[in-house]
Amino acid sequence: MADALRSYSGPLLLALLVHLAALTALHGGWFPGVEPESRAIKPNLVQSQLIVMQPKAPPKPKPKPAPKPAAEAPKVAEPEPKAQPEPRRNREAERQRKLAEQALEDQRRRLAELAQNSFAQALAEEASELAADQDLSAAQSFRFGIYQRVVANWSRPPSARNGMQARLLVELIPTGAVVGVTVVESSGNSAFDRSAEAAVRKARAFDVPREPDLFERHFRRFSLLFKPEDLLR
Amino acid sequence: MPEQISIFELVANASLLVQLVMALLALASIVSWMMIFQRWFFLRRVANEVNHFEDHFWSGVDLRELYAELEGQDDLTGIETVFVAGFQEFVRLSDQAGAEVDSIMQGVQRGMRVALNREEERLATHLAFLATVGSTSPYVGLFGTVWGIMNSFRSLANMSQATLASVAPGISEALVATAMGLFAAIPAVIGYNRFSAQVEELMKRNEAFSDEVTSILHRAAQARSS
Repeated sequence: MADALRSYSGPLLLALLVHLAALTALHGGWFPGVEPESRAIKPNLVQSQLIVMQPKAPPKPKPKPAPKPAAEAPKVAEPEPKAQPEPRRNREAERQRKLAEQALEDQRRRLAELAQNSFAQALAEEASELAADQDLSAAQSFRFGIYQRVVANWSRPPSARNGMQARLLVELIPTGAVVGVTVVESSGNSAFDRSAEAAVRKARAFDVPREPDLFERHFRRFSLLFKPEDLLR
Repeated sequence: MPEQISIFELVANASLLVQLVMALLALASIVSWMMIFQRWFFLRRVANEVNHFEDHFWSGVDLRELYAELEGQDDLTGIETVFVAGFQEFVRLSDQAGAEVDSIMQGVQRGMRVALNREEERLATHLAFLATVGSTSPYVGLFGTVWGIMNSFRSLANMSQATLASVAPGISEALVATAMGLFAAIPAVIGYNRFSAQVEELMKRNEAFSDEVTSILHRAAQARSS
């Protein structure tokens, strides 16, 4: 029994290692899709930090000379105990060093704060961009629904020709009901314009997102472009 | 590409049955890898033992001495048991008075055949498991995938706006099961083929060796009877 255990424990360990390696490979961006995301974040952060560093560059020389006296001070201080008669200078050096250290500390803290702020800002920007992207894809699906409804309700007049296009401005209320249709850009053929307008009016209401924010941004007023080719597909 | 769902999130969000299938496949994969490593080391060791023993056997050692030496040992290797089984039978039968050469040789062959069968069994343990994993885990994975896709399409029926984005995660999640099934099956199949070929080769060597021992003992029996 113990013999069997010994002969299987090694292989078991190796087997677990193989799976662990496979898992880390999965996690660590084996997939091409994972990498672009991290790449997209990195440049943002690097850029924002660079911008912050530049105005900070002039004050930087200050702290640099400061630590040098601080570094020299102990050198001075070392021979000092031998020549004890001058404790005052010693104290003076001590005070100067403390001041320099404090200045350095302040500088460092401010720098860290700035870096953190810019980091948080970059994160917020990133998040809002992501949210906007998501909104866009959600809006896209609703837009497709509107397109389908309009197409279903549109009967093309016989006088319609390829190359014509009419732009309509549609106004909705949050329930999705159509409250206004105006021809913004005429096709030059009044029958075609009227048919387009009728298509929207016949639809009466569209599916719109429940989120008021998304609705206000994309669906309160939007324009529809009518082309006769759309129906020929 | 706004966001990428990680594989781990997909697995965590999968339905219970799909998760069970994945767990089963992960377990099968781990165990089959364990068997692969175990068989690998074991068969390599056995091949070394066979080489070593054959070298020793053909180095002109006296067979009685070799037998006496091996009989005292506890842990005999496979090919050694074959030799000991045959020689033991030979010694026992030829000690009986009036034993015919043919009956002695039949006894020797029978003893060695039993030892050979036992050795083959020992070499081929776990190979059946590898074969099972290799042939069934793709189907198990497919089952998980079909189930997952079925569910994701069923939930699609309730939506008013059907977009690709609403089905894609479900399908992707379901496909993970197939990937896992293949991940478990491929090494198992390769391992099975490789190891069964190795076992066959070792058994051929063992059989050839037992035939050689038989012919040597046959000569000895005839020399004694005449």
